[in-house]
Amino acid sequence: MTDCERARELIPNALRGRWSGADKSFFDEHLKTCAKCRSLLEREQALDQGLRAARFSAPEELKQKLASQLNQEQTTTHKGPVLARRTAFAAAGLLSAALVVGLLTVHALSPDERLVGEAINDHLRVLYAEHPLEVESGGIHQVKPWFTSRLDFAPAFAFSGDDEFALQGGAVSYFIDRKAAVFVFKYRLHTITLFVFRAENLPWSARGNTPIGELRGEAATERGFHTLLWRDADLGYALVSDAEAPTLARLAAKIASKN
Amino acid sequence: MASSLPSVWLETAPEALRPAGKSWYGSRMQRGERARPFGDELLAHADALYHFARNLTRADDAARELVQDTFVRALGAQGSFVAGSNLKAWLFRILHNAFVDRHRRTSKSPLELRDDTLDGAPEDAGDVWLRGDIELERLRRLVADDIRAALAELSLEARTVILLDVEGFTETEIARVMDSAIGTVKSRLIRARAKLRVLLGDYAR
Repeated sequence: MTDCERARELIPNALRGRWSGADKSFFDEHLKTCAKCRSLLEREQALDQGLRAARFSAPEELKQKLASQLNQEQTTTHKGPVLARRTAFAAAGLLSAALVVGLLTVHALSPDERLVGEAINDHLRVLYAEHPLEVESGGIHQVKPWFTSRLDFAPAFAFSGDDEFALQGGAVSYFIDRKAAVFVFKYRLHTITLFVFRAENLPWSARGNTPIGELRGEAATERGFHTLLWRDADLGYALVSDAEAPTLARLAAKIASKN
Repeated sequence: MASSLPSVWLETAPEALRPAGKSWYGSRMQRGERARPFGDELLAHADALYHFARNLTRADDAARELVQDTFVRALGAQGSFVAGSNLKAWLFRILHNAFVDRHRRTSKSPLELRDDTLDGAPEDAGDVWLRGDIELERLRRLVADDIRAALAELSLEARTVILLDVEGFTETEIARVMDSAIGTVKSRLIRARAKLRVLLGDYAR
């Protein structure tokens, strides 16, 4: 590698002022004698200036909405029953779409309710998506390998669907701030969505209210949807559907089974 | 099982990237002050988030929705935010994920998160027009609209890596936001900027 090549590789470091070892002294010395590299640095600096000058600023209206949203959060987090908090959020009127209004209720709720709200919103995204499934099912042994290069974990369960719960397919989505494997099951005319995701640093309930084999899950009902959330080792699971809660518990037991 | 995200954020929270002159969220959490400081910190990044969203979506309405969605997700996930780590990088990752998620759900066309042409493009592609002081002056005279238009012509990946770099994120943080390999960030950034310069050459003529 020539000195010029080495210096050009260091131009990004020079722009951001990040140096290690003797790189800076080498770079500075080289530029004293190399007009070409000096010109290249000036060119990149000019491009940086242009990019900074081309920044968009958030519209004031948007900032006010965001501030209003946060104020609502502050005043509702510590006061009032859950119903009142939800009503207050609805009244905030930040977004008109029902799905997003649903999203907005999440952060004012207790930790458990946040997970429930997120699960329902993600389920709605599946229902409303034009292409909810990225891999159609020919069985779990076809769906699970599809996730291999798309996730940084392996969804750990063996249930491959049966006559009662037919596996439709899978997709990759996000659960709050992390990737999730999405499995879609059909139960009669109901769609049941299963999200599998890394469980750490989420506000899990200390003890669930619903037995799932040897585990316990937390069942909840919100906006007409039933949810069942549980964690098994370092993975979290969320089942969501408008099918009845006992139906979800039955499917959860099959999913949680190690066989 | 891969290493957990929070530990990575802890490793990649250089002091220089923390908001100057502001109390940090972690110390506030330790003092028992939570909702308000966190909200304040979110609002402090509204402009940067909107700028990123606007360039990703290339539309004002979509950018507004994306920022709002990001706030909702961030508020819902604040329990998973690791005190002392880089809040801005965490927010940008949430926004990028939300953008990918929305596109995947609403678009008929697949989202090209990877620009293969960045692999083979010469790093000095910009030299074809930028030679000497005259060309440098042309670049300096470009107006914001020219640069925005040229950015919009770039692939999503090229646009994203350039924007994240100008925000001041490290290569590790950029890789985390984009869910890509750390080792390729620098070369892809250099090539993306070279492409941008070529496009800007057309605007400067």
